[in-house]
Amino acid sequence: MTAPVVEAKASERVAAKPPAPRRRRGFAVHFAHYKWLYLLLLPGVLYFAVFRYGPMYGVSIAFKDYVPFLGVNGSPWVGVTNFTDFFANPDFPRLLGNTLILAFLNLGIAFPLTIILALLLNEVRLSVLKRTVQTLVYIPHFLSWTIVASLSFLLFALDIGPLFQFVNGLFGTNVDILSDPNWFRPLIVLQEIWKNTGWGTIIFLAALATVDQDQYEAAIIDGAGRFRRVWHITLPGIRSTIIVMLILAIGQMLNTGFEQIYLMTNALNRSVADVFDTYVYFVGITQGAYSYSTAVGLFKSLVGIVLIFGTNWLSKRFNQSGLF
Amino acid sequence: MIRRKHTLAAAVVVSAALALTACGGEAPASDLSSVKIMAPFLEAQPPTADGAVQKKLEELTGKDVNITWTPNASYEDKMNITLASSDIPHVLVVQGKTPGFVKNAEAGAFWDLTDKLKDYPNLKTTFPEVQQNASVNGKVYGVYRGRNPIRAAVMFRQDWLDKLGLKAPETTEDLYKVAKAFTEQDPDGNGQNDTYGITIPKWGGLGTNSPYDLVETWYGAGNRWAERDGKLVPSFETDEFLEANRFIKKMVDEKLINPDFATFDSTKWNEPFFNGKGGIIIDVDSRASVLINLFKQANPNDFQNKVGFVGSLKGPDGELHAHPTDGYSGFLAIPKSSVKTEADLKNVLTFLDKLNSKEAAVLINNGIEGVNFNVVDGLAATIKPETPEGKAVNTDIKSFAQLGTNVTGNNFYPVKQASEYEQKVFDDRVAVMAKDLKSAVYNPAAAFVSPTYVAKGAQLDNIVADARIKYLAGQTDEQGLKDAIKLWNTSGGDKVKEEINKLWQDNKK
Repeated sequence: MTAPVVEAKASERVAAKPPAPRRRRGFAVHFAHYKWLYLLLLPGVLYFAVFRYGPMYGVSIAFKDYVPFLGVNGSPWVGVTNFTDFFANPDFPRLLGNTLILAFLNLGIAFPLTIILALLLNEVRLSVLKRTVQTLVYIPHFLSWTIVASLSFLLFALDIGPLFQFVNGLFGTNVDILSDPNWFRPLIVLQEIWKNTGWGTIIFLAALATVDQDQYEAAIIDGAGRFRRVWHITLPGIRSTIIVMLILAIGQMLNTGFEQIYLMTNALNRSVADVFDTYVYFVGITQGAYSYSTAVGLFKSLVGIVLIFGTNWLSKRFNQSGLF
Repeated sequence: MIRRKHTLAAAVVVSAALALTACGGEAPASDLSSVKIMAPFLEAQPPTADGAVQKKLEELTGKDVNITWTPNASYEDKMNITLASSDIPHVLVVQGKTPGFVKNAEAGAFWDLTDKLKDYPNLKTTFPEVQQNASVNGKVYGVYRGRNPIRAAVMFRQDWLDKLGLKAPETTEDLYKVAKAFTEQDPDGNGQNDTYGITIPKWGGLGTNSPYDLVETWYGAGNRWAERDGKLVPSFETDEFLEANRFIKKMVDEKLINPDFATFDSTKWNEPFFNGKGGIIIDVDSRASVLINLFKQANPNDFQNKVGFVGSLKGPDGELHAHPTDGYSGFLAIPKSSVKTEADLKNVLTFLDKLNSKEAAVLINNGIEGVNFNVVDGLAATIKPETPEGKAVNTDIKSFAQLGTNVTGNNFYPVKQASEYEQKVFDDRVAVMAKDLKSAVYNPAAAFVSPTYVAKGAQLDNIVADARIKYLAGQTDEQGLKDAIKLWNTSGGDKVKEEINKLWQDNKK
């Protein structure tokens, strides 16, 4: 008795699907059928068209000698001169090095810490405590880099900052942490961890909530301890989320964060602090070399795209799950 | 950064779209009954178009004045976007000879006013050297906005000086002695070794009138460029530059200068002075009034004799090499794309001539007599208590003063100070600055724009600027500083020197 009903439903579904050979008419039907959904899509498409794709024509100034008075179209073409100038610049290896080192430090230290913090939070059984801690670790994310930098300047102020005294006491040294080139990178990574680790746990906590609870019970019966359970159930359970987040993080790798680094740079640590973002600002805005800095920015974006596709490809090769 | 550039690009797109629509309405307007101006504002709010100041200005100049007030922070970006559009003002306030401006000017964006200004009595400058400084290789692209060239001063805690029985410094050597005494002789009398001499904030750029630049000029290193053996060399290639920095380093090493000078926030510069930690500030003389005001606010009954000041100091050679600025802060330029014919240009220049008349100068700098100020003994005394009309005028003139050029000197009234003591300090300041003006060491290359310097001057100068701070902080030795200067030369500085010298020679003829 139930079979005909199922069949009827199935045929309905088939009818709703546009038949393959009559594609053109099919699309019209399809469009008419889903017109409200497409209408919902429209603001998003418009947003990307107007604010993301439209301005991209401005990227053409990377291949021109842009003079504001002559305009984007009126400025003369110069081919890839801006790019060759940049690669031949003695600053280039230093900028690339600084950017990559900071990127890898952030990726290698800050990224795993996010997962570890999420795992720790997940193990907290007392829900009041868990929620309180969660809220507290989210707060720094909402402070601007200007405030974070100001706080750092207070805490590490020469001779009087409490953290200045603590750190120098710990290592038995007497260095000005804010201007010492060796301390620049640790400081940047510490700031990044302090500001964004808590916020980064949100997605992992959501993923952790989807891990099958039965498996834990089974593991407990089998005599698995807490670390075993984390290692064999939790981590594999959120593996795909970790990979997606990792791919996204790698795509953003060269965006070392202009504000943070700009605010922490000074004459004494500039040799390790200059990265692509600050260089683009310095050359483009303060020196009026709009074309040159656009070329640098474009190069950075290209590297970002290559990294995203590369990691995605690698991740697909190894375990068949990628971002797209 | 990327986002910022996108916004810029988006704005370009939008302005291009506006341009297309604007093209339709373009009519040959030779009478220019209305003058469009683009200017920055530094206050929280721009003046309104129907304010009393603007009405009076329209009355004085006989034109409708249409001012686009643009926030100061993003002014240059906005200016460039405006230039790329078709809705270009007739008069554009340009804030400085930035590489962006030079590029626009050389692409033909602005009228060359070199031979034109002399026909207008209020625009014919009485300071031709400042006009030369403001020019691009001798070509005058705008009516410069005059600023007092002598501003360098040493400010110190007068009460400390009196307590220790010292005299105000006259030479750099005196400065060292005072700084040492302020550091070691417990000037605040609290029995603790918790004071130091000079406070210097994070301010390392070359040729930015920083405390380092000032001391170098006082030592005789020149001002950005110096003439040596018939050639111009950058100040940092002179022996005096090294001597001056050895002198500063000695003070750093003896802890007479705040140890965090490389990172100290310049917005907090007054705090150590006011709180009795650091007793000396080397900066512009107007800071003396700011400091006096701090003490006045804290204790209106006892604020006199807290702040003392002197102008530029004599160097080790016993001579006074006073440090002047270039004497201008940007200019009013006239874009060619909005002012198309010579007739239009005359119209606009006539307007600017009226804008710099005595009446207009008083209006945009002092306000409206009887509404917000009265003239007392040749000084402008603010009317107190402030009426609502007076308040509106007081607020508006802070922005309108941006349009002032004062190329024939300040034709408005000096502001009467709040108390007799402050008036005396103000008069002293004027006297000291007038004295220093006679020994001013101007930058001989201020007018010259070298193409290489436009392309990468900021990067080049950073090499030396950073090395200077590193040397003072002890991160590198004198050889390191010399190496950095060599690197400046090999990275393109050689070409800059060549170009500047050529321009200098050509201009001497």
